[in-house]
Amino acid sequence: MASILVVDDEVSVVRVLSIWLERNGHDVFTACNGADALTQIESQSIDLLITDMNMPYVNGVEIIRIIRDKMKKELPIFLLTARCDQENLVERLKQYSVHVYTKPFVPSRLVEEINRLLGAVTL
Amino acid sequence: MIGGSAALKTVYQSVRRFLTAEEVPRWFGLSIVLIYLVGLGTVANVGILYARNESSMQFQHSSRNALQQLADQLALMGYPESDNPAIVNQYQKALHRFSTQFLSRIIRVANDKKIIASSVSTEIGVLRSKEDSAISGPDSDQIRYSSDWWIRLAVPFHRLAKNTVVDENSKNTTTKSNAPVYLEANFPPTPPAISSLSSTAGTLSIVLAVLGSLFMVYRCLREQLRGMSRIVDRLHTHRHRIENELGSLRIANTVGFDQIIASWNELVDLTQRLQEKVEHTEATEELTRALQNVGNNSLAEALHAVPDGMIFITDENRFEYANSAACRIFGWEIDQVKNITLDTASATGIGLKILNIILSSRQSDGSFKPYNELMHVDDAESKFQGSYRIMIIPMHRAHREGECLVIIRDVSQQIRAERAREEFVSHVSHELRTPLTNIRAYSETLSSGMFEDPKVMTECYNVITKETRRLSRLIEDILNVSQLEVGTIEITLDRVDLNTLLSECIRDIQGLADEKNINLKLILPPKLDEIQADRDKLSVVINNLLGNSIKYTPKDGTIIVGCQSTRDEVVLTFKDNGIGIDPNDHGRIFEKFQRGNEPEVQNETGSGIGLFTAREIIRRHGGDIELISNKNEGATFMVKLPHQESRAASKSTSEEN
Repeated sequence: MASILVVDDEVSVVRVLSIWLERNGHDVFTACNGADALTQIESQSIDLLITDMNMPYVNGVEIIRIIRDKMKKELPIFLLTARCDQENLVERLKQYSVHVYTKPFVPSRLVEEINRLLGAVTL
Repeated sequence: MIGGSAALKTVYQSVRRFLTAEEVPRWFGLSIVLIYLVGLGTVANVGILYARNESSMQFQHSSRNALQQLADQLALMGYPESDNPAIVNQYQKALHRFSTQFLSRIIRVANDKKIIASSVSTEIGVLRSKEDSAISGPDSDQIRYSSDWWIRLAVPFHRLAKNTVVDENSKNTTTKSNAPVYLEANFPPTPPAISSLSSTAGTLSIVLAVLGSLFMVYRCLREQLRGMSRIVDRLHTHRHRIENELGSLRIANTVGFDQIIASWNELVDLTQRLQEKVEHTEATEELTRALQNVGNNSLAEALHAVPDGMIFITDENRFEYANSAACRIFGWEIDQVKNITLDTASATGIGLKILNIILSSRQSDGSFKPYNELMHVDDAESKFQGSYRIMIIPMHRAHREGECLVIIRDVSQQIRAERAREEFVSHVSHELRTPLTNIRAYSETLSSGMFEDPKVMTECYNVITKETRRLSRLIEDILNVSQLEVGTIEITLDRVDLNTLLSECIRDIQGLADEKNINLKLILPPKLDEIQADRDKLSVVINNLLGNSIKYTPKDGTIIVGCQSTRDEVVLTFKDNGIGIDPNDHGRIFEKFQRGNEPEVQNETGSGIGLFTAREIIRRHGGDIELISNKNEGATFMVKLPHQESRAASKSTSEEN
């Protein structure tokens, strides 16, 4: 029942997440780059963000920083990353309260946590 | 005999010990002084005695003369016949006069029987006793009466008497032989002769005292000269070592007389320093000559051919030698190098950086700290990027602190390769995870049972299939790269129908092209093109090139694949109208892990091994890949594959040659 924005330059990832989230009754908005994502967050009311780490021009961390520091939005953010150097990342993102998932991820678990956060029932 | 010689030996030893003892015992000095005093005393004594003797002798002599004169006078007065009172009176007066004049004790005239006249009046007429026998003394006119010594002179009447009675009556002149009359005078005894013992003792003590003093003087001088004697000893003992071990001439401790020994030691030190300096100068000259020789022979030539820059800095901070690689870096002429010193050297760019490194590793005592670091250069102006390993190796030869060898090694390629490899590893891991993510997610979607819509299910299957293929291609790439690195890749030649192969590859990749709405065209010649090649490896090449074209061509672009055959070779062309490749990068992008640096390239995923793999495979076939491209003007890759028969032919001709 929430509005969720999914951002990834890989169309297939966006697609599978959309399928799952819509199945769980959420409204899914999509973007395939950072700029597009930020525009949507500003213009619409987004309840939750799922974003990939490695994207052209503006990567995931940048997006998070802008959302938290500039836009001062507190919405929950999930970061999907394929990178191995996790400790650094987790450290840096602690201050922004971001949930980090490594790829390949298990969609069911991701969706479960999202639902829990939003107070919805997982299907 | 034996006892005697043993005693003598002991004496000799103890004397020797005494003479060579470190310190003169105090009692010795005192005893010398005493002996001196004794000696002086004796001398004084002897002197006094001698003087007295002399004076009394003189006195005696003059007294004797006077006595003789008196005797003559008395003789002139006449013989004292039968106590002629007149004569006796005269005698008496004369005696009296004499005794007052000469202060003799007693003076008298006497014959054998009695005393006729005397200065002591009570004596007159006294008979001589028998006991007063005269004992002759040492002198002929010295007699002794009991304990006194008298001088006795015979009064010479016969000579001088005026009145000699001559009786005319008697024809026989009877000269009365008168009894002799003597003049006797009592004089103080001559002092005893200087006894020989005391004179000997005196002389001996003097001699001893003198010897003792000489000894003391000797000892004092010896103390003074000890410093000198030590120096002389040292010189003598170590005379053979002077040339090589000057330091052995130093004298350790000084017991007093620090001055002279300290000065000596200073002299030795100074000479040592001078010696070192001379050696050093000689060695520097030797080294210089050796280096000059190096400059004149093939070793120098060899060093000039070494790609590393090599510089030798002497301890006067002079650039003694620099090979041509180093001169290139610093912009020096090879024969100018000797005139350049560390402080006057000037350079720009990399040379300047290196100079600063050398200068900063120079320590206060002139020596150099060892240094071994990478220096990265990224000059925005000249767009020069490179890495150098700078090594400063101090030379530790004795007394030459400031020498060092500087080596400048261009490690740009290695650093670039390392960085590229690191990037590759992280890229690869990322690239592997992407298709895996999709496969995982979509397979879970299928197995969850939640999505029964057949459209969704078909979609899942398609994605899984596509991603699996993508994954396997990637893994194939990686495997090829490792094989190529190790050199174990094998080309199995077989008949390959190029038309079919190309069609298949295009079909496989059509999906990707469609995503970007890219027009993918294949232009095949009417004739069947066959070639001897390794089909699998060739498909890798085709897929890589096609994949690149699709990646780097924006939406709605066009890719044309062609195939042309000549007598010697077959040429496959892959032409796109994508972002193109800057001519500067044409060589580099075929290297392992190298990609274009433009943001459009960097934002695409890529491992940097596609072109490398492709070219290596084609080269193994005996062919090559050519590239025609310019920035923003698309790219045309031409894969040239020789026909294997002609390749074999050319190979054999080259072997014959």
